[in-house]
Amino acid sequence: MTHVEANAAAAGEEGIGRNLVLPVLYPLLALLILVFVAYPMFVLFGRAVVEGSGPPFTLVWKVAADPYNRKVFWNTLLLGAIVAVLGTLLATAYAYAMTRVSIPGKKVWHFFAMLPTISPPILMALGLILLYGRRGIVTYGLFGIQTTGLYGLYGLVIAQLMSYFPFAYLLMLNLFRGLDASMEEAAGTLGANAWQALRTVSLPLLLPGLAGSVLLLFGYSFADLGNPMLLGGDFPVLSAQIYQTIIGMYDVPQGAALAIFLLAPSVLMFVAHKRLSSRMSYATVGAKGSSRLRLVMYLPARIAALVLVGIVTLAICLQYATILAGAFTQLFGINYTPTLRHVIATFTKSRGAILDTFALGVISAIVSVGLGLVIAHLVARTRHFGRGLVDFVANTPLAIPGTVIGLAFALAFSGSPLLLTGTAAIIIVAFVVRALPYGIRSGVAALDQIHRSLDEASMTMGATSGQTLWRVLLPLVRPALLAGMVFAFTRSVTTLSAVIFVVSPHWSLVTPTILSQMDRGDVGEAAALSVVVVLMVLAVIHGVPRLFDRDWREVHQE
Amino acid sequence: MAGLKIDRVTRQFSDFKALKEVSLDVADGEFLAVLGPSGCGKTTLLRLIAGFDKVTGGAIWLDDRLLSDTRSHVATEDRGVGIVFQSYALWPHMTVAENVAYGLEVAGLGRAQRDKRVNEALELVGLTQYGGRMPAMLSGGQRQRVALARCLVMEPGLVLLDEPLANLDVHLRASMEEEFRRFHERTGTTMVYITHDQAEAMALADRIAVLDRGVLEQVASASTLYREPATEMVAGFVGQGIVVPAEMRGAGHGGTCAASVFGAPATLRCRPGMPARAGAKACLRSVDLAFAAPGEAGMSGTVRRLIYQGGFFRAEFHPDASPGTAFVLEVPEPAPIEAGARASVAVRGGWIIPEGERR
Repeated sequence: MTHVEANAAAAGEEGIGRNLVLPVLYPLLALLILVFVAYPMFVLFGRAVVEGSGPPFTLVWKVAADPYNRKVFWNTLLLGAIVAVLGTLLATAYAYAMTRVSIPGKKVWHFFAMLPTISPPILMALGLILLYGRRGIVTYGLFGIQTTGLYGLYGLVIAQLMSYFPFAYLLMLNLFRGLDASMEEAAGTLGANAWQALRTVSLPLLLPGLAGSVLLLFGYSFADLGNPMLLGGDFPVLSAQIYQTIIGMYDVPQGAALAIFLLAPSVLMFVAHKRLSSRMSYATVGAKGSSRLRLVMYLPARIAALVLVGIVTLAICLQYATILAGAFTQLFGINYTPTLRHVIATFTKSRGAILDTFALGVISAIVSVGLGLVIAHLVARTRHFGRGLVDFVANTPLAIPGTVIGLAFALAFSGSPLLLTGTAAIIIVAFVVRALPYGIRSGVAALDQIHRSLDEASMTMGATSGQTLWRVLLPLVRPALLAGMVFAFTRSVTTLSAVIFVVSPHWSLVTPTILSQMDRGDVGEAAALSVVVVLMVLAVIHGVPRLFDRDWREVHQE
Repeated sequence: MAGLKIDRVTRQFSDFKALKEVSLDVADGEFLAVLGPSGCGKTTLLRLIAGFDKVTGGAIWLDDRLLSDTRSHVATEDRGVGIVFQSYALWPHMTVAENVAYGLEVAGLGRAQRDKRVNEALELVGLTQYGGRMPAMLSGGQRQRVALARCLVMEPGLVLLDEPLANLDVHLRASMEEEFRRFHERTGTTMVYITHDQAEAMALADRIAVLDRGVLEQVASASTLYREPATEMVAGFVGQGIVVPAEMRGAGHGGTCAASVFGAPATLRCRPGMPARAGAKACLRSVDLAFAAPGEAGMSGTVRRLIYQGGFFRAEFHPDASPGTAFVLEVPEPAPIEAGARASVAVRGGWIIPEGERR
């Protein structure tokens, strides 16, 4: 018997000794997910359902019967519907212009359309207020109108459109790119012009994607907290109402009950979206096209496309330019004297918030992607008992609006058995739980591309599953993991709703700080801090791949 | 070195039995091929031996060591079984040398010893200069050799080869076949070679196990499989035999018996002492058939098609007694007959398929 064999045989006799990593890790992981995902939701339900002396659900019914609450509920739905439909139309048109029409400057248009996806949504409200508010530079400065027209439904629609249409645009962009050119070409050979081909061939194929985009935007609009709080005015919506109930009125049970009414439609949307995407596969089956599409050269179409992307880009640019200007003027709207005061304040007063946000964002990005990979590995590569359930529970945060998660966390971990309020842990956990579904997704996608035999080969060489994961799988999936981490970081740093209930004086974050600065009227500081966040995220997005993503494919070809 | 014993192994996937009581003994140092059409269960068998999957019945032994039965299961990493995968399964982020060294490293071998053995393994497959290359920079054949070296550096008692030539082109296949054979001669490792290609199996293996729909049909040398197929499936699968009903006229004496096939009298080979029985089946190949000489008895029928094969024709002959049966005769150029012509075909050889010999 050779040396190696003897080793293997000896280890085999020791029994499970060598292969402890996953069997130990797995129950631990399942426990973590139950404690940090399922348990808080149970607590939230408990607070809403069982309260006081009455029978269960008393409070929920009372809340549902209240006419004001009903109005808030319908407001939320109405806003969601408008944003979903308009946003989808805008996103489709934008994506069409970008993929099918011959227009110059596509990189620029794409960059600016993507900018809102990496900014806290609250920035849109901030920019709008500076531009079109009571002392807005356009409304008051240019036209001398002192109006509150911005506050309410219209302002909310515009702010949310700008914040969220880019997500729908990305979705549509991928769909348009995936569509097989030969299908439209076939229509062309049968005598259809470009418009007819689009209408009769591509649009039906895109229909599931359009529906997906509607549901996606609906969900984003529901979950948004920052914009409604700053721009809501006389148009209250649920997320802001929950916040007011908890923070303003200290009425936790009522807030919890309201949260259930925010949760229910979100879950419905999510389920519908899941159903839809499982049926959407036919669109992607037909999408395995390789031939390139001819771009539309028809001049009026090109001009129309250019005008569209130009106007949208201008609107977005105006936002960011105004915020930038706001950061460097005394009091935007009243006193336009240039100053560095706010920038200095940002790096002194708000330095803690910036550093905390960065540190916690980085930690949670690493944790969520790491956990995501392990869960993806469990689901895709092992047959551990209950792995489907773990996967399901870990993915539920996708369906839950940030406000609801944040509230559930604040309620669940504010006392025994697990007191986390006021610690960094609760913020990290909130970030991780929210980013975990994306971590799992990136893990599954990465593992799917690696043939099973690569880890089986490692096992036949005597490596345990832990060694296999570490030595073989991890290096291969690293590029995908880094991308996942950047995404998780961006999402964590820009969220407001999920963290507003869990921040504390010890651990403050950037987005709630911007909100309170706005509340105080410190527009300049809010603007300066906003600029810093956007720059920080941009630096991470562009810096991380350059620093760490030295792909094995490139490394060894030097 | 080790002998493999597979004892009545069954593998059931919910309601589908992928393997049914398969028993197989592979001697120490033997080169055994497992041959069968796709879906026959050969990959399942390999995965059970490797320990990727658990048996639902029976047991697998390597020498005196129980690897798998319904109660116990030695993990893959503790089996000491090497595999060469169809897809090579080389890790693309490691150099050739790193790929080969991996198992030794995991086993905790020191650097010096590791390097020595890696070099030996690379030398064995003729890739000494390629240690620093990435797998992506190698040709298909070279990758296959690396996979082989990586597996052999561990000096496993048993090597499983999962259709290792399926991804190579025809020319490369021939030279890799040669490589495998040389390799087996040099190391004397027990090898189990999974394939659906009978030419490969015949060229390489000491013995061939034919698997069909989860059942082991026959285990024998290549020539025995060809000359004396134990079942209809083997008769049809190996060497494209045609299985037809044969009327036995008497018991087998000295390995032959008198019979008739579709009315044509024939002397067929059979198991010595086989009693005459009704409903016997015979395996006929094109070498056993010829157009009847003048005055020779044969079966009458029609030549439906002639297909030119270069130097000879394949003539498709349908006997009147069973028009659905298509015999194939090889007819040298120039063809003495045309498509559509009537003809008489004599049976000059063949094999009576024994009954109940499936093991």
